[in-house]
Amino acid sequence: MTTPTTVTRTVAEQLDERGERSPRVQKRWQRQAGGRKSYGMFLCIVPFLVLAFLFSYLPLYGWIYSLYDYKPALGLEGSEFVGLQWYQMLVSSPTQMAQIGQVLLNTLAISFLGIATSILPLVFAVFLNEVRAKWFRNAVQTLTTLPNFISWVLVYMIAFSLFSSSGLVNNVLGDFGIITTPIKFLDSADNVWLVMTLWSVWKGLGWGAIIYLAAISGIDPSMYESARIDGAGRFQTIWYITVPALMPTYLVLLLLSVANLLNNGMEQYFVFQNAFNMQWIQVLDLYVYNIGMTGNSLSMATAIGMLKSVISVVLLFTVNAIAKRVRGEAIV
Amino acid sequence: MKLQRTLVAGAVALLAAGLLTSCTAGDTEAKTESIDAFPSQWEEEITIDVFDGLANYMGIQKGWFAKIVDDKFNMKLNIIAPNVAGGGDTLYNTRVSAGELGDLIITDKGERLDELIEGGLVADASPYYPAMKNAARFDKAVDAINEGNDGIHAFPSSVSSLLPTESSEGIDSTFGPFLRWDLYAELGYPEIDTLEDLLPILKDMQDLEPVAPNGQKTYALSLFKDWDGNMMNNAKQPVTYYGYDELGFVLAKADGSDYQGLLDGGGEYERVLRFFHEANELGLVDPESTTQNYDTLWSKMQNGQVLFTWWPWLGQSAYNTDANMAEGKGFMIAPLKDQQIFSYGAEAYGGKQVLAIGSKAEDPERIAAFIDWLYSAEGSLSNSSQTMGAAGPQGLTWDVNDAGEPELTDFGKEVFLSGDADVPAEWGGGTYLDGVSTLNISVVLPIDTDPETGFPYSYKMWDSYQKLTANPLTEDWSAHMGGAVTTMEYLKANDQVIVAPGASYTAPADDSEIETLRNQVKAVIVQSSWQAVFAEDDAEFDRIWSGLQDTAEGLGYEKVLEVDMDRAKEQNAQREAIAKEFAD
Repeated sequence: MTTPTTVTRTVAEQLDERGERSPRVQKRWQRQAGGRKSYGMFLCIVPFLVLAFLFSYLPLYGWIYSLYDYKPALGLEGSEFVGLQWYQMLVSSPTQMAQIGQVLLNTLAISFLGIATSILPLVFAVFLNEVRAKWFRNAVQTLTTLPNFISWVLVYMIAFSLFSSSGLVNNVLGDFGIITTPIKFLDSADNVWLVMTLWSVWKGLGWGAIIYLAAISGIDPSMYESARIDGAGRFQTIWYITVPALMPTYLVLLLLSVANLLNNGMEQYFVFQNAFNMQWIQVLDLYVYNIGMTGNSLSMATAIGMLKSVISVVLLFTVNAIAKRVRGEAIV
Repeated sequence: MKLQRTLVAGAVALLAAGLLTSCTAGDTEAKTESIDAFPSQWEEEITIDVFDGLANYMGIQKGWFAKIVDDKFNMKLNIIAPNVAGGGDTLYNTRVSAGELGDLIITDKGERLDELIEGGLVADASPYYPAMKNAARFDKAVDAINEGNDGIHAFPSSVSSLLPTESSEGIDSTFGPFLRWDLYAELGYPEIDTLEDLLPILKDMQDLEPVAPNGQKTYALSLFKDWDGNMMNNAKQPVTYYGYDELGFVLAKADGSDYQGLLDGGGEYERVLRFFHEANELGLVDPESTTQNYDTLWSKMQNGQVLFTWWPWLGQSAYNTDANMAEGKGFMIAPLKDQQIFSYGAEAYGGKQVLAIGSKAEDPERIAAFIDWLYSAEGSLSNSSQTMGAAGPQGLTWDVNDAGEPELTDFGKEVFLSGDADVPAEWGGGTYLDGVSTLNISVVLPIDTDPETGFPYSYKMWDSYQKLTANPLTEDWSAHMGGAVTTMEYLKANDQVIVAPGASYTAPADDSEIETLRNQVKAVIVQSSWQAVFAEDDAEFDRIWSGLQDTAEGLGYEKVLEVDMDRAKEQNAQREAIAKEFAD
């Protein structure tokens, strides 16, 4: 019975003699309103927090497998706990270390080659944009974008039918009498990194160019007009207007690819691997797959897979330190 | 606020519980009452998943075999084949992690089976065993395979009533230098003292027939990589000409007189790699070897593009058709003077693979009945793989003639002599080969005697068949082989075969460390072996070979070899024991 009166009194108390709220009360009201708003905002990001948790943090639980001698049929409970055995095994043998070193070298080399060629879609977009015939431009764009949607397995089939020892290229060269024994394009260790990079350029060029084409269409046409009035030629407009306008986009994408340095995937290398190029094609993801799935040592594979996280953290802090020194502010 | 916190805590707890419980194994099955006989009819139609480590086909079994199974058990077989899926043990691991491998499981005994039993993935078939009258004929083998386990979890394959000291091979040896006899004959049947002497002969043969009838280039040797395991599979094969077989990284001689590490300098494995390498330098090795698979090789064999094979069941099955043999063309063994071909003795307690019932099988009783049927005469004739020579169902491919002997029917002749034929509708339609059992496992050895006819299950061993197939090729071969009619007959007469008694030895499980070391080492061995074969010159070969020895050693090869060496000796001890046991 007393509650309503209490409330009434409180509301009455909140108003001073001029009928306005006191500054103290005003502040609390604002805070409450703001609190309600941020609560709503929080709800908006909850799904993403859940996703981040599910896909980035929950899998960390899987690291526990590296401490067991995991056998799928027995489950984790039935498998023996072996402590740091796998880590010891990794570091105890110099040959093993050398192998991992080679794998890291492959990973980084292929990634850096990828970054080095990341300028190509930009160049392609710039020149494609200069093509006057619309139908031709569209045709080229469609044809170059298509490979992005072909799976690596199909890409390998194309590669195989063209470049295997009985493939088209070898047949043609043989028919013209240029070679007598087939050239081993696919099963040789020569220039594997380069070849792999070329394949991914072929696959991703048109797709990568889309974002630059979009950026180009966003450039104010009056800039080109005034440049032309000032007597700028085609290449000068490209160099002084298009390229600078694309630079911010390029840099953002570059940053993203640096962040993905160790993530060069495995599909491509998985389908292209064979006894002859294995040494140079085995990137970290593929190495983990080969040990875990093909070699049936799931625990060992987990231990090596963790390496990736460790190196990524090291990379992150290195980039962070560089950013701090260069820009004066850090990312984390 | 408090309510919210409780809700959140509750949700987190639920999520966590869900995550943890999803990893635990299924409940234990309820006890079933023992039965004495299977029902003669099955009401409801079911489709069972067959996880088959040997199958080379994936999907629902088709054709005449499917019809027989359907008629008898009202059941369809859905074959799940890791061989087809590829990617090593991926399929096995995924399915096992999910807690269900299949309704019927065909897998390796030893480590695999133990793991499955321990993990509760295979059912105990003891309640059904009293009803399994056909399997009971091989009681000894069933007992041996389930020894030490509580209950009957697995059923043996490749059983027979033969002595373990007798070869399990009937007409042809499993291994041997088989070459295109017609070309060899054209060269004047040159004598071959030892393995390396084959090279100039193969070269001449290739020069004699540089192009196959389909216009493609012929090669003496064509390799493939599908079956690479502890070593390059193809490189292991010629090793068997000298009585060796593999056990992990050890090459052990059939009679226990010699054991070699795979990477021993000057050992048999290096010898074969050098042989291949020299062949490659002579231009005898198909350049597509590095990328092709068994299927491609098979079709090349059929087309006459390959002139040499280390297995009769590849060369002869693919190329020795009626038409070819009538022209005197075909693969026959050309003995090396110093050969002593390895032969597997009939395994007293069954082969390497076993059959088991999945613990989550919908109708385990029916699967038990199906397994039992596979041990019956009808089951053996229908199921045993076609390359092994099983005759097929009575009344379709063969029948007993007036003299009481089994004989191929016209349909059977068409199938086995010409390659294939269309199956009559009442037998299920389709072609015969499409309807062959895709289980790819011989539960009973095809050379074992059919208790109903008194003749072997394998049509190839019937007199009626051998009379039927006499042709210019076999006659010519026979004339040069001292009148021998079959490969095994020649080898036995000339003391060129060495039988490893069938002790059914299974290597115990690797401990986790050895297994990991082994997997890493074998990857390097396989990789380097291929590189060595295709090395540019001898110097590069030597470099790759010594590099392999160093890398393998660095990865723990010696440690694994030690384990394998002990096992090889244990295997030999068991062989000797069983030979003695059955001699008494």
